[in-house]
Amino acid sequence: MSGILATLRRELCAYFFSPLAWALLTLLLVINGTIFALIISFLSDPRSAGGRPLDFFFSSSWVVLMFIVPLLTMRLISEERSSGSIEVLMTAAVTELQVVVGKYLAALLFYLFLWLPTLAYAAIVAGYSEIDWGTIASGYLGIFAAGAVFLAIGTLASSLARNQVVSGVITFAVVFFLFLVFGSLQSLVNSSVWKEFFAYLDVAGQMDDFARGVVDSRHLVFDLTTVIFLLFVTSRTLAAKKWR
Amino acid sequence: MIEVQGLSRRYGEFTAVDGISFQVDQGEIVGFLGPNGAGKTTAIRMITGFLPPSEGQITVAGYDLLAQPVAARRQIGYLPETVSLYGEMRVREYLVYRARLQGMGRMDARRAIGEALERCLLDEVEEQIIGTLSKGFRQRVGLATAILHQPRVLVLDEPTVGLDPKQIVAIRQLIRELGAERTLLLSTHILPEVELLCNRVLIIDRGKIVDQGTPDGLRERWRGNPTLRLDLKGEPAEAEQRLLGLNGVIQVRRLDRPTGEGAPEASRFSLECEVGRDLREEVFRLCVEQGWVLLGLSEDKASLEEIFVRLTAHESAQEATEDGRPQPLEPGPLESEPLEEAS
Repeated sequence: MSGILATLRRELCAYFFSPLAWALLTLLLVINGTIFALIISFLSDPRSAGGRPLDFFFSSSWVVLMFIVPLLTMRLISEERSSGSIEVLMTAAVTELQVVVGKYLAALLFYLFLWLPTLAYAAIVAGYSEIDWGTIASGYLGIFAAGAVFLAIGTLASSLARNQVVSGVITFAVVFFLFLVFGSLQSLVNSSVWKEFFAYLDVAGQMDDFARGVVDSRHLVFDLTTVIFLLFVTSRTLAAKKWR
Repeated sequence: MIEVQGLSRRYGEFTAVDGISFQVDQGEIVGFLGPNGAGKTTAIRMITGFLPPSEGQITVAGYDLLAQPVAARRQIGYLPETVSLYGEMRVREYLVYRARLQGMGRMDARRAIGEALERCLLDEVEEQIIGTLSKGFRQRVGLATAILHQPRVLVLDEPTVGLDPKQIVAIRQLIRELGAERTLLLSTHILPEVELLCNRVLIIDRGKIVDQGTPDGLRERWRGNPTLRLDLKGEPAEAEQRLLGLNGVIQVRRLDRPTGEGAPEASRFSLECEVGRDLREEVFRLCVEQGWVLLGLSEDKASLEEIFVRLTAHESAQEATEDGRPQPLEPGPLESEPLEEAS
């Protein structure tokens, strides 16, 4: 436990000390702000069908997510390996799993921190109209759950490559693929069993559900098991050390 | 304290460490000596639990490193060859992190950090950012990290490489102090360091331990016939004859004339004598009789360097081990000045 906490603390510090993190925060504010402004101006057009602005916001959030996840996770293990600090880390009295979980949790917490400013949008909307806080909570839950899965993918990718850029690109490719493939597979198959199966795996579709305020526990179970599985694989990768 | 049995590591076709076995007892300072690329670092990485061995067993302080990795690693303090620290952290901050990582309690950690900072002379830089420290200081932070959790075994991989002479002296002093109370395994390719610090030496070459023993024991074993070296003024050809005539001299060789010293007519000889004979007195008398001026007379000890060069010069090492008994060393061009400064 102390191994996880020590790693978590140190990784959080590393995020807050690195310029990348602040650049990311700025970028995210600009992108999210632009998306939010577009949604508002779109909805205030009298010809639009109307709707709740935050529903639109949450269902478009995957675009942002796809870009920030690789940037957050790419350094986690790759950097330790390329700088050589992994040698003193992995000869300390900690297990691989403790290190991996600590690093992953740090990435997850920083990821949540990056979304914090978007609460302002809810506050703005609340100032002008009725607002359904339940839907907003479910929207954030969607961002959290999808982020948790993708960050775990990124953590695994980071343990595979010594080069940060390579691990970032792997993460981006996998996340991109996952966003596209299951959505389109659903429309390609006729059998309802397969449709349901692909829907189960479709994290992007899952985010739409959450954005609409539908909290489906199946999604959460899927996400949790995926995260556990991926972190376990990461710790085994780290333990195998074949390419050191 | 450390027990290694049949340890091997292969990288594909290449065998970096080839079935080495050895033991380091409590309180010993053992030097792991070998040329670059001999497999020292690979062996050390396996002993510290960083690299899984292809074969073999490692026991540290009674814990099997492969079966109980965390318990075994808790007993090891490790300074890797290239000390890589988190550059954005301050020295004290980093040590606090390490103490937590090693599972130390708050009070223990505070005491241990204070002690490590003092020990490694880091007090003045404890609030500095690691990235801004000099190499010598970073090395000391690495050492502080290694001793922080009070391990029973310290493993140091080339601790003085890349430091300036002053820093080398300071680090060696520190190592000697640390070695007084702990079991220490030290890898190096610097011979004077071994002579200065270690009770016992393991010479490793091409993944195998080619010899081991105390520095004196090794010297004894590999010395061969005692050799005298003398500088004198006199007729060189005649001197050579006369010296060879002495009882107990096996061979006389004329070496290069020493340059400088304002003695152009002086010549230098090397006398190989029978084992167990000290001919210095006879040589002196001969000089007096002949009216030669004796400028210098010294015993030529086989230095650890020569042994090392011999053992790791690949063909001759082969011969020596096949014969069973080592062959005497040739007083060759390699003179007994140490390769590097001895502090």
